[in-house]
Amino acid sequence: MGCSKRKLISSYIDGELNKDKRRLLESHLSGCSECARELEELQKIHMLLAGAEPFKAPRGFSTRVLANIREKETRKFGGFVHILAKSAEGFAVLVLIGAGIILGSFLSKPLVFEKGNVVASLSLDIFEPAPPDSVGGVYLAMTEAENEN
Amino acid sequence: MELYKTDDLDLINRFKDGDTSAFEEIVFKYQDRIYNLCRHMLQNAHDAEDAAQDVFVKAYQNLNRFKPEASLLTWLYRIAINTCIDYRRKPFFESLFKTSKEGDVFAVDQLADSPSPERLYESKQISHAIQLALGRLSEKLRTVIVLKEIEGLSYEEIAAILKVSIGTVKSRISRAREELKMLLKEFREQK
Repeated sequence: MGCSKRKLISSYIDGELNKDKRRLLESHLSGCSECARELEELQKIHMLLAGAEPFKAPRGFSTRVLANIREKETRKFGGFVHILAKSAEGFAVLVLIGAGIILGSFLSKPLVFEKGNVVASLSLDIFEPAPPDSVGGVYLAMTEAENEN
Repeated sequence: MELYKTDDLDLINRFKDGDTSAFEEIVFKYQDRIYNLCRHMLQNAHDAEDAAQDVFVKAYQNLNRFKPEASLLTWLYRIAINTCIDYRRKPFFESLFKTSKEGDVFAVDQLADSPSPERLYESKQISHAIQLALGRLSEKLRTVIVLKEIEGLSYEEIAAILKVSIGTVKSRISRAREELKMLLKEFREQK
């Protein structure tokens, strides 16, 4: 458990030790049964794993990959078209609102004139001259006589 | 085969120029290696195929951004490992039952009572105990040991894929072997 050389064993199996360390470990292994046993056990695991027959991709794998990609691309395009359609709808609503405002402004012009007519209709000019026997008529006759004097 | 002689960089450039058949060649070239990695990482044929499919879909979507500083295989391995980690983090319920495209529900093969033909074939090639032990390792340890032992990569290549130092790779491989040894001992004692 406590042998300091033991930590080198894994790298030794992988051929990742430099020349000096490899030689050092190899000479150590001949005298250390604990490290020799560890090497043997780890090598067995290494052989089992490294010697495993690799799994091959299932038949039709690449066809399914490409179909999957096409499906995702179509969905992406469909999403884009959907967004575009939604944008077009929004745009159409904006155009309608704009057209409504412009049309409304044209239609409201005569109303402004009518409004002017209303103001004009409230002018004092529209009143009938005061009858001569009314209080207003007497007052006007008096003021006119004063002005003449 | 002529296909396998084509240089990766040439394939990538062709793809970037709009030639989608270049991507098909990439899939043909690396499908077995990516599937094998996913199969050992996930230890179930259905998840492995789904994950490997996802790897190539992600690769297709991101290949235009691929920088040729790393090799294409290193880049694909990186995507595969991240994808497998995501698959393993799926809720237990999701990994327990899978729904096929036809809508049939079936239990994943670890739970099958009788070994499938694939399982029988597998047991001829590699010890069942080793597979079980691999499945008991943590994500980090399983990733390095699969890349080292199954894929046969060097410490340097593993470090590049995982974006960790060579020292980290070395110590994780050593720990993974120690844990595998202990687990195998445990399995032997249980028999």
